[in-house]
Amino acid sequence: MKQASWKIAALGLGIALAAPLAPGQRTASAEYDAERKIKLSGPVVKIDWTNPSAFIGINVRDASGTVAAWEVEIGNPLDLEKSGWRWDSVHIGDMVNVDGFPARGPELQAKANSVVLARTGAKLFTISSKPAVKTASQPAPRWPGSHVRLGPAPGKKGYWGPPSSTVLVETGVNVPMNKDGLLVNISDAGKVAPFQPWAKALYEYRQRTLFKDDPYNRCIPPGGVRHFQNPYGFQFLEQPEIGRILLFLGGGDRNWRIIYTDGRPMGQKDDLVLTYYGASTGRWDKDTLVVDTVGFNEKFWFTNGGLPHTEALHLTERFTRTDMDTLRYQVTVDDPRTYTRPWNGGWTIRWVPDQEIQEYFCEENAESTFLSNGSGGKYQ
Amino acid sequence: MRLRAFYWGCLLTFLSLVVPSFAQQGHPLTGTWNGDWGSNPTQRTPVTIVMSWDGKDVKGIVNPGPDSSTTLVTVDVSNWTVRFETDMKDASGKMVHVSADGKLDDLGSYHRTISGTWHQGAATGTFKLTRE
Repeated sequence: MKQASWKIAALGLGIALAAPLAPGQRTASAEYDAERKIKLSGPVVKIDWTNPSAFIGINVRDASGTVAAWEVEIGNPLDLEKSGWRWDSVHIGDMVNVDGFPARGPELQAKANSVVLARTGAKLFTISSKPAVKTASQPAPRWPGSHVRLGPAPGKKGYWGPPSSTVLVETGVNVPMNKDGLLVNISDAGKVAPFQPWAKALYEYRQRTLFKDDPYNRCIPPGGVRHFQNPYGFQFLEQPEIGRILLFLGGGDRNWRIIYTDGRPMGQKDDLVLTYYGASTGRWDKDTLVVDTVGFNEKFWFTNGGLPHTEALHLTERFTRTDMDTLRYQVTVDDPRTYTRPWNGGWTIRWVPDQEIQEYFCEENAESTFLSNGSGGKYQ
Repeated sequence: MRLRAFYWGCLLTFLSLVVPSFAQQGHPLTGTWNGDWGSNPTQRTPVTIVMSWDGKDVKGIVNPGPDSSTTLVTVDVSNWTVRFETDMKDASGKMVHVSADGKLDDLGSYHRTISGTWHQGAATGTFKLTRE
């Protein structure tokens, strides 16, 4: 009886091992090899319409007649739905042709550049690009007799959406890298920020290993500046009457920050419980909200691209709404244990009018993948 | 009974997968390292080193407790080799000089390791430390 129980325990262990590693939002550079192209054709056998990435499963027959089951990532369901696509835009049994690039590992998995319905030639799951927002088309809304509002005007809705850049590089430095922060030339590493030697070596290691250890891939919260680098947005809720601003984050673990604007001093590291988002205090400098944040733990990467930090990290963020549709984000990174001097970076963020942040949870995909097949191929 | 065993199997594996999610991502040497040293595979002496990075130096405490000693840790980040040097009490209570040279492996892993050669007094052996 005891032996039988252990066999069942081992079975449970095996099933759990076959499940993905609480995956979610892997950086594409870590998962796919953009240098290789792949063409796949076959019938759709599965549709997995879940956050953060939707997949279709297709059976691909090779020249010898052998059939292989491929998983094809087609995009984020929220983005797809904004472009008019639904889970039933393709049906089980439809023949499709896929152009894309394959996973870096041995899994039969690919990321689609295009999916074409064979019988009609129609392109499926294309993301429509929105027209560029005209700057200064409308002035930023304001509090009566005071500074600009960082949220919507009364009676309106909206949130801050896609950033103009998804990487953090010292201002004035032009270093070619992809949207995940993967350098085109590893020899440029030293230009990205004023690293201490150990930090540069660790940064180069993370680059060379294609971000395989990125905690974000396991849904660890995107603290630091990283939550402003994802496409799912954020929203300010200003509460001047009680001296605080709440910052709701749409991506990652859908968390929040509290920025105290009641004049309290910035927290001291020794008095703080170290967290992913740190402890923030803010003040207004004319129309710019200046936020100081300390008290970060070391369990996450604070930006895309793998730049290191320590518990000594102090971020000074400056949020300036230059017009209705544009938020200028500037950050000073001060971590004397990691960098030789404070340094600056930043980007702009676009207003998404008349919408709320859409529901997004990093955990969602982990669960659905576990339930759907447990093959372990999709996100390992 | 069988169901309970199944649940335990899943739970243990889940925990083993979740733990790496909380890896320390700052200076790779920061943290508590446990392991042992010895001149052969069967006779090993436990070693714990707690290391911290203050922005200039990595400082270590060897075997924290009444008989602890501090060690300056030098690291060559070009190849992630690490050297410890300290004076500490041996099993008989006599002070001996200890030096160890090792290599930090699997830099991004929560359970990264340092392994290499350990010199303690006249004895020489191997050591392996794993970050807890």
